[in-house]
Amino acid sequence: MSDELLSRMREVVGQHSEPSLARHAIGTAAIADWCDAMGEDNPCYTDPEFAAKSRHGGIVAPPATLDIWTRPGLPAQASLARRCGKDPLSRVMAMVEAEGFIGVVAVNSELEFARYLRPGDLLQGVQVMEDVSEEKQTALGIGHFVTTRTKYSTVEGEHVGDLLFRILKFRPGTGARPAAATDDEPKPPDASPALRPRPAINRDNQALWDGYRTHELRLPQCQGCQRVFFPPSPRCAQCGSFDMAYVVSEGHGTVYSHVAVHYPQAPGFAYPVPVALVELDEGPRMVADLVGVSRDQLEIGMPVEVDWLDSHPAVVDGATDSRGPVTLPRFRPAAPPRRTETRTVGSVSEGDPLPLWVLPITPTRIVAGALATRDFQDVHHDRDLAHKKGSADTFLNINTSMGFMERYVCDWAGPEAVVTALRVKLGAPAYPYHPLTFTGSVKSVDATTGRVVVEVAATNTLGRHVAGTVELELNP
Amino acid sequence: MSKHTYAGKAAIVGIGATEFSKDSGRSELRLALEACAAACDDAGISPSQVDGLSTFTMETNPESEIMRGLGIDELTHFSRIHFGGGAPCATIQYAAMAVATGVSDYVIAYRAFNERSGRRFGAGVQDRPAGATAEEAQFAWTSPFGLLTPASWVAMFATRMMHEYGVTSRDFGAVAVADRRHAANNPAAHFYGQPITIDDHQNSRWIIEPLHLLDCCQETDGGQAILVTSVERARDLKQPAVIIEAAAQGMADDQQMMRSFFRDSLVGLPEMGTCARQIWETSGLGPDDVKTAVLYDHFTPFVLAQLEEFGFCGRGEAKDFMANGNIEIGGRLPVNTHGGQLGEAYLHGMNGVAEGVRQVRGTSVNQVERAEHVLVTGGTGVPTSAVMLGADR
Ligand SMILES: [Zn+2]
Repeated sequence: MSDELLSRMREVVGQHSEPSLARHAIGTAAIADWCDAMGEDNPCYTDPEFAAKSRHGGIVAPPATLDIWTRPGLPAQASLARRCGKDPLSRVMAMVEAEGFIGVVAVNSELEFARYLRPGDLLQGVQVMEDVSEEKQTALGIGHFVTTRTKYSTVEGEHVGDLLFRILKFRPGTGARPAAATDDEPKPPDASPALRPRPAINRDNQALWDGYRTHELRLPQCQGCQRVFFPPSPRCAQCGSFDMAYVVSEGHGTVYSHVAVHYPQAPGFAYPVPVALVELDEGPRMVADLVGVSRDQLEIGMPVEVDWLDSHPAVVDGATDSRGPVTLPRFRPAAPPRRTETRTVGSVSEGDPLPLWVLPITPTRIVAGALATRDFQDVHHDRDLAHKKGSADTFLNINTSMGFMERYVCDWAGPEAVVTALRVKLGAPAYPYHPLTFTGSVKSVDATTGRVVVEVAATNTLGRHVAGTVELELNP
Repeated sequence: MSKHTYAGKAAIVGIGATEFSKDSGRSELRLALEACAAACDDAGISPSQVDGLSTFTMETNPESEIMRGLGIDELTHFSRIHFGGGAPCATIQYAAMAVATGVSDYVIAYRAFNERSGRRFGAGVQDRPAGATAEEAQFAWTSPFGLLTPASWVAMFATRMMHEYGVTSRDFGAVAVADRRHAANNPAAHFYGQPITIDDHQNSRWIIEPLHLLDCCQETDGGQAILVTSVERARDLKQPAVIIEAAAQGMADDQQMMRSFFRDSLVGLPEMGTCARQIWETSGLGPDDVKTAVLYDHFTPFVLAQLEEFGFCGRGEAKDFMANGNIEIGGRLPVNTHGGQLGEAYLHGMNGVAEGVRQVRGTSVNQVERAEHVLVTGGTGVPTSAVMLGADR
């Protein structure tokens, strides 16, 4: 039976869809919105003056936007979800689903760029069925990998790039059984932050904790001599004043020391817990746990920046907690600075590491990314509907993940590095409040062609979110 | 600075302890009374002769109950020392001051608990109520962020020592190996007959990186009492007098309770430096006069810092000083010859004072030759204490 299914599906291989035409030409406003959502500040995308003098000769669109322009708008995407399409993928989907392969998961996404897109380009995309695999046993279940290639061109017919997209259609319940939990492994405690020990707040430290609730990192300051110190004291040891107020720290500092807590395990924490003694730029030190980083990635002297945890809610079980809400300052490695000068191929070597980048993931970031990439699937913006579909929360869409990956590598390589391809294998979902940690290294360097391949992975507490390569061309 | 005037006027004449176990099966009060009675027996006095008591603020057994249980008619001195494990040598100091000034004749310093079968200090700091005291409020800067235990606080210092002095985990392990070697020879030790190798240390699981399980002291049920009187009275008693040549308390440099993270440097123990200065000035001795020491070892890293604070070696040189078994029996400065709190028992350092007494008496299971002056220290990282014990000449 599966042979028969496979041969029917393989008849579709090589078939094309009707061209899907972008409703609007690429515009600078949409590019700017995309850049805002990604935190991308490469001036080639938004600064006409800089862009004009760059290798591009004018504003260009970030390469990772290739597949967003021909997407239909919100109403059409909503009806697309019902799968009435006549394109090759929809036809193959209908065939496998009729045989019980109703599960679906995206496996690979690869973008290849022939040239940078410019404002005014009006794109169209043609989907081609590239491959349908034999029946395979995967961890998720027995299924078929289905690969499509969408070829993008301008309406004038100039080819600008391809999207290669692979999904797995599987039979739910036929996957590898989860390893039986062993009885002697103690269950880790509930890591929900509300279970952390509450800080003892009193008249001497109240002002600081009040500030934390509004994400203001306050430090005690003596009004007699302006000394900033920590922890607070009612009296200034330097001048004797009892007149205490505070300054607001910029939240930047460096790791002065650090540990990883393994045992004993208390509720409210995910073990092992990396904890640092942070020396703030304003002088004082403070203890805080770190997010998005493990102890072996920590170094004394590493720059860090504040990250807030609203740990104890104002309302518990429907009633106001009389002790009040609590917000804790935490820290994450500081975002690596964007290079303003573009690297040359001679300045990079195989094995060069990219700096660690910890990216906080918030609901806003997820929604902004989805909208900026013109992806209106409900699981990327509507938590209720995401829950209904069995997802723990809304999650980052693939285009946004790839956008961050591109930004990560270009921040390292410089504004005029030319991105020729982005290839990712997709993994664990990126939910809100689980920061993504990007790591990378140079995989290969071809000094004659200027081709540089950078390996990148982004992980969160659930595992590896994406891993893949960013291919660049650098000047000699 | 001047010498302490009570120095050399008081002596330890009795030591008494319960067995050290993981589950004593009896009350903390009973442990305390057994230890106190044993200390009196050791000295050959009646418990009713005791008229002074000194202990820790953390002690759960009040002086009134000890008084009732020992059959004491009148107490003229009862004092308590704060800051947990920093207190042991200070209880001896207070006892010495009381007898040297004529306030009391016989003072017992005691500490007893079911720290393993009852409340475990390593279990972590619990939720603190709002409207907190100044002491509780200090925990606000560590507990919500995951530093809940003494091990977690000490580990923060350890990382810094490794960074600044090039100390390695194996260097910390040398302390554990020495302690366990000494304990292996001590029938009273929990780890009697169970020495470890440096590989055992390295392979033991993480508690708080960079601290392994074998960097951490035990948890113990037990009691220890030390009886102090004047040197004159001591000379008429059963045991050779062990002179309290110097004793000191110390707090320094933006002190916090094992969480002095806000001071300029984290690689020393300035509060122990305060003790060291007083000990040397009062006793008139120096590092070369000391052939063995009991250095507080709740966690291994601070043993290195103590060697440096007392000047047994220079700053950052402890790792080299300890090499080649120099802190083991037969070495330059055998440390914790009873097995320490890693090997013998965790009695908040009071068992270490008893070992200091045995070394001076010449009755240690790991006796060091010519141990005429023995240094004993209290808890590290906390406001602390130290004592120099010496032979009666
Ligand atoms: Zn002042």
